[in-house]
Amino acid sequence: SSHEHKLNFRKSKEECLSYIQDALLQQQWKRAAEFLTCYVESLEKDYSRELIGPSEMIWRIGTEILWHHSQSSMKEFNCFMEQMKTLGVKRYLKVCLEHVFHLLCNGQIDEAYQNLSLAESWRFGEQTAIQDKEMKLIEAYRGLLDYYSWSKQKNILLEHSEDGFSDLAVEQEMHSYFRKAAVNLKEIIKIPGVWDVFVKCYVDLLEFYGDHNEARQVLNEYAYNSKFPANPNAHVYLYQFLKRQGESKKSLISALKILHDIVPSHELMIDFNTMLQKSKKRKKRRLGLEVIFAALDYAGWKENAKAWSCLARQVKQIVISEKHLDWIKQEWNSRKDWWPAFHFSRYLAKRNWQENKSLSYEKALVAGILLGKDCKYFKYVSHRGCKTQLKRFRMLKKFVNRHNPVYLRISG
Amino acid sequence: WEAADAAAVPVLLPSAGCWIPSPAPQDILYRSGLCKKLRAGKSGATLDFARQLGHFFVDHPEDAFGSLGQLLHKNFHLGNSKLKRPARNSTIRMTALVEDIDRLEARRGCPRQHLASRLRWFSHLCRDWLFEVPLGLLADCLHEELMQQWSNLLFDDSLTGGALAWLPPQDGGTPMGRLVHPGGQAMNHLYFQDVVLEELPRARGSPAQFELSGRVRQVAAARVDGEDFVGVRSDYHCGVWRVPGRTGAAPIPLQVIHTDMPASCLTVSPHLPGELSVCTQSGTVYLWNVGTGLQQLRHDPQTMFFRDHSPWRWSDFTAHPRVLSCADRTGLQCLDARAPKKCHFDLFKVGEEAGCQQGERVVLPMYLGRAHPSQYLVTTQFSVYVLDERLPLVPVLKWPHMMKAPPLFAHLMPGNPGRSHQVLLGASRTQELLLLQYRGGGQSACQLAGTPQKLHSIGGCLQHLPTQLPHRQHLLQQRLAAPAAGLAATLQEDGPHKSMLVFQLSEAGDVFCQRLTHKAAQPSAPPLRDEATTAPGSSPLFEAPASSPQGLGAAALRYRRWLRALFRACREPPRHTWHPSLSQRRLFTRRDLQGPAGPSNLQRQVRQQLHQAMQEGGLIQRWEPSAVPPPPLPQTLEPAEGPDPLSARLTAAWAGDWEQWWEERTDFSMAQRRRALRERRRRQKRARGCRSLSASFTSSLTYQSELSELSDAGPPLLSPGRPPILSQESSPPAGSPAVRSPLTSPAPDEALLSSQSLRCRGIPKERRKTLRDYLSVWAEGPPEPPEPSGSQASQLCIPSSQSQ
Repeated sequence: SSHEHKLNFRKSKEECLSYIQDALLQQQWKRAAEFLTCYVESLEKDYSRELIGPSEMIWRIGTEILWHHSQSSMKEFNCFMEQMKTLGVKRYLKVCLEHVFHLLCNGQIDEAYQNLSLAESWRFGEQTAIQDKEMKLIEAYRGLLDYYSWSKQKNILLEHSEDGFSDLAVEQEMHSYFRKAAVNLKEIIKIPGVWDVFVKCYVDLLEFYGDHNEARQVLNEYAYNSKFPANPNAHVYLYQFLKRQGESKKSLISALKILHDIVPSHELMIDFNTMLQKSKKRKKRRLGLEVIFAALDYAGWKENAKAWSCLARQVKQIVISEKHLDWIKQEWNSRKDWWPAFHFSRYLAKRNWQENKSLSYEKALVAGILLGKDCKYFKYVSHRGCKTQLKRFRMLKKFVNRHNPVYLRISG
Repeated sequence: WEAADAAAVPVLLPSAGCWIPSPAPQDILYRSGLCKKLRAGKSGATLDFARQLGHFFVDHPEDAFGSLGQLLHKNFHLGNSKLKRPARNSTIRMTALVEDIDRLEARRGCPRQHLASRLRWFSHLCRDWLFEVPLGLLADCLHEELMQQWSNLLFDDSLTGGALAWLPPQDGGTPMGRLVHPGGQAMNHLYFQDVVLEELPRARGSPAQFELSGRVRQVAAARVDGEDFVGVRSDYHCGVWRVPGRTGAAPIPLQVIHTDMPASCLTVSPHLPGELSVCTQSGTVYLWNVGTGLQQLRHDPQTMFFRDHSPWRWSDFTAHPRVLSCADRTGLQCLDARAPKKCHFDLFKVGEEAGCQQGERVVLPMYLGRAHPSQYLVTTQFSVYVLDERLPLVPVLKWPHMMKAPPLFAHLMPGNPGRSHQVLLGASRTQELLLLQYRGGGQSACQLAGTPQKLHSIGGCLQHLPTQLPHRQHLLQQRLAAPAAGLAATLQEDGPHKSMLVFQLSEAGDVFCQRLTHKAAQPSAPPLRDEATTAPGSSPLFEAPASSPQGLGAAALRYRRWLRALFRACREPPRHTWHPSLSQRRLFTRRDLQGPAGPSNLQRQVRQQLHQAMQEGGLIQRWEPSAVPPPPLPQTLEPAEGPDPLSARLTAAWAGDWEQWWEERTDFSMAQRRRALRERRRRQKRARGCRSLSASFTSSLTYQSELSELSDAGPPLLSPGRPPILSQESSPPAGSPAVRSPLTSPAPDEALLSSQSLRCRGIPKERRKTLRDYLSVWAEGPPEPPEPSGSQASQLCIPSSQSQ
């Protein structure tokens, strides 16, 4: 019966697909290609209402095979892609985009650009929401390529200007690239999403032409619009922009404060801490201590000598001045049950001493103040340091011994 | 990466004792041809509820109807006979009911089956009170259990995480790591096995062993401060062991916790020693510190983002030692252990942000801290995601893995900074293993490096093994196809050579391993195998090619040892290891067992002699001949020589009627033989005729005759040709030589054999009598020895060899 036939057909189709998958996963491209030629037959009776139909399957598998097959050429690849574009109308834009990526990977930038503009002019039926989004993406990538050309021209121009003569034609061309790129990039940035590359390029363009207000607005929108997913990079870009603009400390600190709230373990927290430590306001210095403590909570910062030296410096300052010991006490309170095992174990003392003497010095100072002179970490490191006749370790020992009452006050 | 061998190789010998496979679909599904057809149209399987309920009644009759059965047994008649008048009023004849049930069984699956009225009447009458356990309650429980078994068969999430851990060797020490795996028949033993990493990893010494009170579901391990902490999860217990860094140091059990609901997750902190996180199926997440005990972080039986029925929960550690991730099927959240109620954020959500498909669910989350401190792996049944906790909700990498079963196990091998990290994914039921590589995370964007690769599974080695006897092949097949239960791997860098060892554990407790070598590391080496050689049927494992005979030879050797041990362990049937015992009380009556009332004549005589000898202080030299018990003496054998035709003739001659004897012998036997021959010819003719008439009829007929030929041909063919020196002296049971003795008599030859077989081939009755007469001549000749013992059996055979 036809039902049975249909069933058998489906079964053999699935079988074939699993063979292809098997070959792909064992990197037997030739075998996979042979099976794929058989699988093409499944296009004839495409009854399936699955999420991924056979034609999409063929597209995906085919690109994968052609990409890895030892005997495939770019020409064949282009040919295959053209066929795929006609095979499924709904997927046209997706296939185009993928094709462009492949071309870019092979360094064929001009062909990629042509393909993108071709895709842009493509129309089919009523535009759906998904198509609209894909179209925006295609335009954005064309904008990116325009930006690429623009920056090339810019470099040429800069070289020429160094030599002392200007080239009007090149300048003209560069400006036209700018216009084309700016229009497309601006569009995509409006849609909520993560558009780090596009934003960076767009801001670069705007800054070159001196449109700082627009740039600031774009970055602020990208960082603070609640429709966009929380993206730490957006705040980083804003901070870098503000820094370039030579903005006041206050605005820089407020930008980093938000970054600290989102990602306390960001690399910029060291900059933030140094900035805050220098501040005259007590509140800011307090925040600085919080920031550096929070950063050192993370496993990734465990062996960061710079961060430890920041902490050691600030702790030392506080201890010497004997003011604001309660800051340390508060920070330490929530950490005293796990920092000793996390940072100041004997095993770590040994290893840090072997690997990085200056790290172990900074850590020993912090440990000596927070945990007293009997702490394992401090004892091991100072003992070792004194043995090897290093002056600063002797100083360290003296300092900690002198300030041992501080430990009692912190822990008490 | 390239596989070094053609298949995975066993690391450990199979443990003694047989593995009992978990229930298969056919055990609990309704099986019937008709039902299958019906099902093909609709989706969904039908559970065979009735059969399982029936099993319960058969297996636990005491629990099911114990007391009522005793009360009612007078009213149930179990015989075939008709009931008499007065009894009929209060007794039911059960045989009729049983017949009805049998008939019902025969029509099983028939859509138009009508219940026999008698059965319906009976069930109406008794349904409410016959069963000790209320039937509705029992059925509910059974149905629940069946549903659970079935859903476990479809997808068993209790194994999530895997029950195999590899404790890598300490820095600078010998290349010896430790494999932590469960074993034993119920998988309730935990082993810490030292393994030396050589070409093929080799177990060294005997493992440290712990017996636990439940099946081990998960083994998790992490190294903190140079010590390994191993967490072990069974359904209601979780335990933690500490393995000191020194090589050869014994693992130390630290603490055990007991949970009311089955635990679904146990992970070990990579940051702090002795810290673990535990989740139970009631939706509770605990932070477990060996020093300070349990801290409840969350209790929420509902799922986080949308409603999902699965009680499965998971939790893991993050870059911050105080922040834990906790997951259910709908996504992941991060909780701060210092203020779990207030501080939390969403890390992953099944939905639009991640571009999830419909019906996609989280299967296994894993913290990738060793690759990058803020990275996270989330697998679903369709895809693999890499997340960055600094940029939550939007995955930094997504890849559809296309595995046939959802990946329940994952293992990360971090690469050096800037190099790619390897992630292994493993599925349980299909034993799939997939190797993914990705790079990036810090400065550059995340991307897959190279193509994903499929690794050998345990079951894949079956095609390389030599063919076994069918029952062993079946056993092997079943054993090797057992679902995977764990995954572990290690990278090994030996100068320029880089290789990866992948261990896979099966539910049967077997640990297999395979080595992958890095391709770029050895460009000079020729490709080990062409695409063609991986075709099923070829077995490069056992061919031992010239290029690397040691390696492959070692693998083959490993296999041989493993197979031998497996078959040794599974030889005896698993359940009846004890010898069947018979009660002799029923075989003999009491009178039989009672000895004679007084001492017999013989005993009295012997006792007297003994007394006499003691009084005289002399020796007992020999017993009186009359006192000797008759059977074991060789004298009794003398009549056995009678069957000899020579002695028979001599006896006749001595008696004087030798002539008569001769007449009798020739005439009688000639006539008999002729008749027999004629009979055989006719029979053959008839058989031929029948065969041409109707094939179906003769097929049954020939089958019969073949059977009888078989049963006949055995002993006669053996006995005449038997060599004089027999190894069977001890083997035949006491009864069998007596049966054979007429055949071993000197006369047996063609005539006897053929006539005997004729008799069994359905010769008409009237002819059978003559045949019997003929045979009786031979049967009378040799008087049978009463009870031939072993030595006699061999003596019996000597004349037969002389006669030939």
